[in-house]
Amino acid sequence: MFGISDPGIWLVYLLSILCVAGSIVFGIKYWNKEDDKDNQD
Amino acid sequence: MDNFVMYLIVMVYFLALAFLGYLGYKKTNDSKDFLIGGGEMNPIVMALSYGATFISASAIVGFGGVAATFGMGIQWLMFLNMFVGVVVAFIIFGRPTRRLGVKLKSSTFAQFLGSFYNSDKIRVFVAAVIFIFMPLYAAAVLRGGVFCMQEVFGIDFDLALLVFTIIVASYVIAGGMKGVMYTDALQAVIMFVCMAFILFGVYKALGMGFSEANQALEAMKDKVPEKLAAVGHQGWTAMPRWGSQQWYTLVTSFIMGVGIGCLAQPQLVVRFLTVSSTKKLNQGVVVGCVFLLVTVGVIYHVGALSNLYFFQNDGKISVAMVEATDKIIPYFIDRVMPSWFVTIFMLCILSASMSTLSAQFHTMAAAAGADIYGVFAGNDEAKRNKTTLMIRLGVLVSILISFIICFVLGEKSDSPIIAISTSLFMGICASSFLPAYFCALYWKKVTKQGAYASMWVGVVVTILLLLFIHAKEATALGVCKSLFGTDVLITDGMMRFIDPIMFAFPLSCITIVVVSLMTKNKAVDAK
Repeated sequence: MFGISDPGIWLVYLLSILCVAGSIVFGIKYWNKEDDKDNQD
Repeated sequence: MDNFVMYLIVMVYFLALAFLGYLGYKKTNDSKDFLIGGGEMNPIVMALSYGATFISASAIVGFGGVAATFGMGIQWLMFLNMFVGVVVAFIIFGRPTRRLGVKLKSSTFAQFLGSFYNSDKIRVFVAAVIFIFMPLYAAAVLRGGVFCMQEVFGIDFDLALLVFTIIVASYVIAGGMKGVMYTDALQAVIMFVCMAFILFGVYKALGMGFSEANQALEAMKDKVPEKLAAVGHQGWTAMPRWGSQQWYTLVTSFIMGVGIGCLAQPQLVVRFLTVSSTKKLNQGVVVGCVFLLVTVGVIYHVGALSNLYFFQNDGKISVAMVEATDKIIPYFIDRVMPSWFVTIFMLCILSASMSTLSAQFHTMAAAAGADIYGVFAGNDEAKRNKTTLMIRLGVLVSILISFIICFVLGEKSDSPIIAISTSLFMGICASSFLPAYFCALYWKKVTKQGAYASMWVGVVVTILLLLFIHAKEATALGVCKSLFGTDVLITDGMMRFIDPIMFAFPLSCITIVVVSLMTKNKAVDAK
């Protein structure tokens, strides 16, 4: 994958892409969502 | 590039910093403003500031050089920086930290732990550890910035040190946390744009695409020098041999040490207290992740690819072209990028140094002025009113200490104390602060006795391992040699290559659990 044969290396590139993609999805989903726990205290 | 244009760019940069520092000054009215920006900072500014503080010049130049030497395995550090340093830090640690921080009215990391455990002893201990160990670490970052300034202006070390210190000091003292975070955000943008340019420039110079370049680099594995192959190097697109010396150094020191160590860094944790809601921390996650992917990910990737470029053009690999690891990236940029870009790159390194340094100065000042003086002042209203002044004085003192360390070490000194202080501070943050910090957020049975004991275990075990077991520091310090006639106490196996954090952190965790359970009837002491 990505021109790299060692899974120890291509895996980290794949995980990094997934991490950024996940953070974007998380960011969009919770961008304007208030956390109920903020109002509990 | 014409010298005039170069000076003009740098001057505009310094003026922009002065303006942002002034903006921070105008908006700072009390100690809460000075310590946590009033708790009302913009989430994008907070995330950029977090990222810029996280990434120092050594992360770019130093670890970029490590990538050129060790290869792409160092990208695990980039992944941990993103996943642990942003995703876990913001979501698992940041959100409860912010909520609890508001409830406990905390403005510093030491105050947060001290208030939670209802213990001035813990507050002073954390502040003292920061104030004792951080100046050396700050001196290391200061030195990196001074070298960069020397390169840009062609001035001598002492003058560059003085100018650099005055610039950072003025916006930290005047602008407090707001000044620091505004300037951090500008510096983060410079770093981000610069790295994006570098990625584009390197692929243009190589004349190939992502996968093609990786394949070409993989085909070079037989070019690994015998000396490196003997300690586990298997090529720049492969992890070091499992269990080899290089594997332990890469995995335990670079990846785990720095990757886990970042979770309890006081200068990073305090940023969670600067926003007004959990929503704003959620917004920061995406900004932080993208920032780290582009800044750290790019420099590690092109660091490894520098071997391909040098081999194509000079028939040599990077370590054969430039012997000193720290100089590989600047030399590579100089070769690959257009001449005008070199100044921009220096500005990027300067930004990385300044953003980290300003946060360190601010954290040390908060430890001295708000925590140590705060405990001393007690409930005395007259003394409490002087807190902001004492914090500003604290900035001055911490800057002075770091300045003196840097000045004494001088330009030519290759004293190992810089590298040691960095390892020491990272190790202590993870081993001493992290268990108590995590338990404060998530374990109801934790007691202040457990937290205090684990903090001491973390500090003591880290120092002992650095003095007597871990080869890099023990050999350089020579304490073990002078006492026992040998560089390290354990010479068999790989023990001497395993980072102290791998032992000190679990021991500290065990201590907090065992002591807390033994003193569980006193759990009421922790809020």
